Amino acid sequence: MTTDAAPAALSGARWTGFLQAMLLPVVFVVAWQLLALTFPPESPAPSPAHVVRTFVDLVTTGGLVQATAQSLGRVVIGFLFALISGVALGALMGSSERVKDNLDPIIESFRPIAPMALLPMAILWFGTGTAPSLFIVAYAAFFPLLLNTIHAVSRVDRKLVLAGMTMGIPRSTILSRIILPAALPGVLLGARLAMGVAWTAIIAAELAVGAKSGVGGTSGGIGQMMFVFYAYSVDLNGIVVCMIVVGVVALLIDRLFRFAEHRLMPWRHR
Amino acid sequence: MKTAPATPKLKLTNVSKQFVAPLTGHRTLAVTGVDLEINAGEFVCVVGPSGCGKSTVLNLIAGLDTPTTGTIEMDGAPIRGPGAERGVMFQDYALMPWQTVRDNVGFGLRHGTPGRNFSPDEREARISEHVELVGLKRAEKKYPHQLSGGMRQRVALARLLANGPDVLLMDEPLGALDAQTRLILQVELLRIWGETLPREKRKTVIFITHEISEAVFLADRVVVMSNNPGSVKSVVPIDLPRPRAEAVRSHPVAEQIWGMIKDEAYRAIA
Repeated sequence: MTTDAAPAALSGARWTGFLQAMLLPVVFVVAWQLLALTFPPESPAPSPAHVVRTFVDLVTTGGLVQATAQSLGRVVIGFLFALISGVALGALMGSSERVKDNLDPIIESFRPIAPMALLPMAILWFGTGTAPSLFIVAYAAFFPLLLNTIHAVSRVDRKLVLAGMTMGIPRSTILSRIILPAALPGVLLGARLAMGVAWTAIIAAELAVGAKSGVGGTSGGIGQMMFVFYAYSVDLNGIVVCMIVVGVVALLIDRLFRFAEHRLMPWRHR
Repeated sequence: MKTAPATPKLKLTNVSKQFVAPLTGHRTLAVTGVDLEINAGEFVCVVGPSGCGKSTVLNLIAGLDTPTTGTIEMDGAPIRGPGAERGVMFQDYALMPWQTVRDNVGFGLRHGTPGRNFSPDEREARISEHVELVGLKRAEKKYPHQLSGGMRQRVALARLLANGPDVLLMDEPLGALDAQTRLILQVELLRIWGETLPREKRKTVIFITHEISEAVFLADRVVVMSNNPGSVKSVVPIDLPRPRAEAVRSHPVAEQIWGMIKDEAYRAIA
């Protein structure tokens, strides 16, 4: 809770903090640009000026926005699959020792298999369109959601459940009104981690699927765009633009989740 | 009590409870040989040193645990599990952290069996009434973590009373209050219990406390328990007039009973 007396001083401190945080990146970009000035004009090495120009080109005519939107769309859909299955299975495993003991060995033997290791199979099964990427994203996002939900549900304060029972609250309502809200902080943490790995996975999946489908391929997404820059036009500036977009989107997703956590759990405001 | 031998509200016959540690198999006898009859409308306080199994007995009556030997009956029928007719006020309150004061007070009315007898409007009116009863009207939109220990305790008390149970099971319900508030709430509790009403209109209360003077002020009978293993040492009737005003606290009989229970309590520890 902020008081009304302090904002001026606070925003002053904020500005100082912001400028401090920006200092190193600015020094880095300036140094990079100075270094790039020493390159011969035909050099393919990226420079800040070229990156900015490529960025503007890609946004206006190159379909960067569409590619990013396509990747994001895949992430959201794949994430939703993982969310539903991960939370449902996690709630079951978290509330029943028996279910957990039976499923744990299976889960733990799949978990070390990196999402990318499933790509060959995903491409063979689903072709080179959106489907294999969705599969990889859902697989990658599933585990953080599942494990965090199991942990959160199994750690729900037992007293709250007992209190519910002494108030004559039916079993199904205890699940929906006590166990799930009590586990929500852990589930949301899992969701944030899952969204992070989902975004990492989609880029890698699109890169790899793009390699399979080729330059005119229908796979799409920002990952495929990167692959095209790498394999066909050898445009390092384009690759750097894609990398920056990927990083910024990841940051925005993280901030969006933190905001959602704040809104969904007002009781956790300190 | 003296006329027709009516069925006691609660009847504990040779009740014992043994806990087995799940990993080591180590057995602990928490309580043994508890025989107790509690009549409808009676206010019974339970005192005794820590670890004498007071809370265990309460949990058994609540139906949250099953006795290892012996039987527990309510109105002549064995207790088979928790139910809203036996309301519990837990030692650590067991409030839902994601619910406001008002929502916590109304939790049982809105989601459990206690709400069946009321229309939605009546429920909300009843919630308001109980929020006001414990003096939390101005804090009703706050979350538990924003409240002091004493305020949380009053939320738990309001929730218990709002559910309108037949039997009130209270585990040190006033323990976190400052001395002054505690005295006020003792009087308030007697009023709510129905001290001025005829006995058949009063609720049945089992009230665990550390404070002998509190037990003397509130109770019709005081059950003194002792340690290792937990058992009933003696049952002391408190024949003080009702309604009990503040003057009762300095009544010579109160002093005398206090001394007697204190002696019992000392012997119970020794």
